[in-house]
Amino acid sequence: MANWSMVIDLDKCVGCQACSLACKAENNVPHGSPHEHKRHHDIFWHKVIAASEGEYPSVNTQIIPMPCMHCDHPPCVNVCPSKATYKRGDGIVMQNFRRCLGCRYCIVACPYGARSFNFKDQEDEEYQRPDLPPDLDLSYGGHIGPWPYPHRTRGVVEKCTYCFHRIDQALQNGQEVGTKLDGNHGVLPACVEACPTEARFFGDLDDPDSAVHKIMASRGPFKLREDMLTSPKTIYLPR
Amino acid sequence: MQLSFAPLKGNSRNYKILVGVLAALVAAGLIAYLVAYAYGFRLWGVNNSVTWGQLITVDFFFIGLSAGSLVVSSLVYVFGQEKYKPIGRMAVYMGLLLMMGAMFTVLTDLGRLEKFWRLFMYFYLSNMKSMFGINGIFYAGYILLLGTYLVAALSNSKLTKFIAPVAVLWAMLVHMGTGAIVGFIETRHIMYSPLKPIEFVSAAFASGLALVTLLSYLTLRFSKRPINKDMFVSLGKLLVALILILMVLVTVDKLTHFYPPKREAVMFLIAGPWAWIFWLQVALGYFIPLGILCNPWLRKKVGWVIAACAICVVGIFFERAAIIFPGLSQPLEYYPGEIAGIWGARGGFLIMPAETLQTLGIVALLGLLFVLGLKFMDLTPAPAEGEHAQAEATEQAAPAAEGGHT
Repeated sequence: MANWSMVIDLDKCVGCQACSLACKAENNVPHGSPHEHKRHHDIFWHKVIAASEGEYPSVNTQIIPMPCMHCDHPPCVNVCPSKATYKRGDGIVMQNFRRCLGCRYCIVACPYGARSFNFKDQEDEEYQRPDLPPDLDLSYGGHIGPWPYPHRTRGVVEKCTYCFHRIDQALQNGQEVGTKLDGNHGVLPACVEACPTEARFFGDLDDPDSAVHKIMASRGPFKLREDMLTSPKTIYLPR
Repeated sequence: MQLSFAPLKGNSRNYKILVGVLAALVAAGLIAYLVAYAYGFRLWGVNNSVTWGQLITVDFFFIGLSAGSLVVSSLVYVFGQEKYKPIGRMAVYMGLLLMMGAMFTVLTDLGRLEKFWRLFMYFYLSNMKSMFGINGIFYAGYILLLGTYLVAALSNSKLTKFIAPVAVLWAMLVHMGTGAIVGFIETRHIMYSPLKPIEFVSAAFASGLALVTLLSYLTLRFSKRPINKDMFVSLGKLLVALILILMVLVTVDKLTHFYPPKREAVMFLIAGPWAWIFWLQVALGYFIPLGILCNPWLRKKVGWVIAACAICVVGIFFERAAIIFPGLSQPLEYYPGEIAGIWGARGGFLIMPAETLQTLGIVALLGLLFVLGLKFMDLTPAPAEGEHAQAEATEQAAPAAEGGHT
């Protein structure tokens, strides 16, 4: 089975947030309001942080896009009391809305702030596409791939899925998945596809021919908060 | 000495007013919960950084108080200290009530209450690697044990002697498990500590003993039942020992995290924006009660002992708050350096009406059940001979303080 991984080249990243927008559009994530943002109530499956060191004029700002790290040893899966969050065989850490109780223990345990609680139902005036997952029901088997849960509700925790619906659908249809070094990319997660500078790579880490596998050998890749020993599968190349 | 128990008559005006006020608060809390459930938890103060709020704080507080109540009852039913017998039954009843209150808080804190049963599908639908999942076993077993214990104590059954030690040991498990819920989370440096489970048990014993002393004194006093002053003074001495143990544990815990250069978490706790919570914990939980209870004159006066107990209970409430609020609002260090915007900002917390009313409602519910229990169960010692007629004539219920013991 594949071992999906994402590599983000921080040298190429320009901090345009196209990935965050693509994620919101693809996964139908509520866009939130300034008020909600201030209260930290809005939902982010993907965020871009800017970490600065030093004082002007000798300052260094590092822009880091952060999807879920899809850890090999995910603390969230350990603490979830109801098996709502679990690691699939291909390494994707999933969140099942139907099982989630909304206890928010996983938010407490996640070292990367990758999880958001859904504080409200989506309102009519918000960007809402009932034709997109996860607002489709279980019977839907259309272009976007099978989703294991019914529809989005308030009162549960949400997170990035590496766009597993795209991957599963592609594998079902016999399509290629992942970045190719020659430019003929297979099916990609929305954020990887949207990146204008091609700073993001997606693929099977265990496949010696895959782009991510080769890139990993190039320039001292690092992971966020390695001291937590979660061994994330979202990996960064230094600037 | 054969001690007889009798319920309160509960006919006085004050008793009825108290029941009415508590019932109104319960209704307000229930409505607040229903509204919050219908509109989503955006009505609460919780957010994606301080993701646990008032209810979980009160939950930990109640669980702790429950254990302490059991310890007091164990003085009677395990160690056979007959002088504590007048408050033994009340202690068991309070232990049960507080644990039920803890369950109300933790379950209504779930985003999806209707799925709570998944917590109790042990090994089948629930994850037994989760401390929360494991605690599901502890909590359910604890409530069952306490129910049995109460029935046995009320009927003066011989079984009490067997149930009591099991219940006390189980209470230790419950509270160590609860400590592990926060203590095993490496991500949150203020919470993360191997000492947390033991600290929790220790804080539980101290606060529970203080609460039982306080409430039983008030109940006996306002229902004009005989008060054995020596008993309360000796409970005060016991409290000194428990507070000292707790202080040592907390000091060692914080010192361990302060000693190495990576001491941001402790600095955030003791000097950060939430430092007042920690210092209230230290002052009200430890120093002021110790000051009173170690003073050779004050410690012999029941009024002062009771005051020390009340202050200690409030202080331990802040101890719980000092785990939740600073623990969760400390920003996560995704990457070295100063992180801009909301991702690097410390979490805030708003006191919102819906959440606060619900918290008060649950506290009032426990007060209500306690007051009603005094009327319908044989929890309090019977009035002394001779004072019987007078006591019944002027009988009053426990004061409103019971409803607001947070």
